[in-house]
Amino acid sequence: MSLGDYLRLLRAKRGGVTPWEIEAATALPKGLYRQMEQRYRAMGDEEAIRILADYYGVPYEELRWRHDWSRKALSRTLFAASLEQRPLTLYLWNGQVVTGRVLWWDLGAVALDMGAAEPLIVQRHAVERWAPRLDAAADDGEDDDEDAD
Amino acid sequence: MAENLWFLREQKKISVATLASRAGLPIGLVMEYESGQRSIDRRHLARLARALYVEESDIKLQSDPRPGAAPLERQPPREAVRPVPAAPQPTPAAQPAGRKIRERPPRPKTVGRPSLPPRPSQLAHLENLLKRLNKTAAELEAELGKPLAGLDRRALSAVLHDLQTKLKSVPQPVRHRAYLPEAVDEFEARYLTAAQAAGDRLQFTLFDGSTVEGQVIGFSPYSITVRNADGAEITLNKLALVSYTRPVAAPAQEPAP
Repeated sequence: MSLGDYLRLLRAKRGGVTPWEIEAATALPKGLYRQMEQRYRAMGDEEAIRILADYYGVPYEELRWRHDWSRKALSRTLFAASLEQRPLTLYLWNGQVVTGRVLWWDLGAVALDMGAAEPLIVQRHAVERWAPRLDAAADDGEDDDEDAD
Repeated sequence: MAENLWFLREQKKISVATLASRAGLPIGLVMEYESGQRSIDRRHLARLARALYVEESDIKLQSDPRPGAAPLERQPPREAVRPVPAAPQPTPAAQPAGRKIRERPPRPKTVGRPSLPPRPSQLAHLENLLKRLNKTAAELEAELGKPLAGLDRRALSAVLHDLQTKLKSVPQPVRHRAYLPEAVDEFEARYLTAAQAAGDRLQFTLFDGSTVEGQVIGFSPYSITVRNADGAEITLNKLALVSYTRPVAAPAQEPAP
């Protein structure tokens, strides 16, 4: 689960406090929280992550770790895996580990051919991490078309 | 009983110009209304009534010409009265003797702009271009035959222009664009549409570890509604889902011999 998805989950657990309320309650710059939650590339710096860890009462390391597993990084991996037709292993939120060939993927889900008769449709927000992991290319602003917000 | 517009105006002791101004209408148009040359437009009637402090029904739509008044003459079109262009102005040589022409003093010739130091943006651009061309500042200095520090703003601009041209001639590496599928949930929507059309049963695994099995009867970008074996409809929020698949049908047991 990317940092954005995890922040959304934490916010939902807080009873749906709004991003503006979080920004007002913390020292986060205006608009940053929404970007961290919604954008596909990793947003926010160490300081912002530390502030949010304090706000939600979760370990800083956990948020920092998720920052490195962004939605965009998953897209990059899925793209390469489907192009090269090589198996990909996904570590899911519920502890399940699934390995298969990527049949299709979009911004919501991934279809894995695991050798069974039917593909497994995995929700992307349930993916904790994956292997193999591609070298993280710079998530520069130019490759930002996926950030449709 | 309705009255002529000119009568009402005179009763109120106001001029045509004042009435036109109050009603926000061209004076010529009001004159035409008063002379009866034109019947009052419905949209203008309300304005005129307000300007005269009367009811709309008090004004005759078509005024009778005022007794003894000459018929209103229309203004000729503007084109016809446009003055002929004036004769060309006499040249200074042909100016009458008593009039002095003030001569403009000759503009002093510029003696070259002062040398200005390079802009910070130019230096940043230079650094960027050198990086992209895989070149060092020393190499560029060797090419130019002078140190970069000695270049002024204009000279550096010329250098940047040359480097930019060189960069265009160098084949650039292929840039990876966003790995964007056709649409946000294009493929999942197709999958669910097919499952719904075929009446397939899907098995969903939720975040809390539970599973739900049912026939897809509808879905949106955020939820999937299924009908389970009991006939109950359950809407699953996609955020609560980990994965789903078509369950493998149990093989039919062979009848005992």
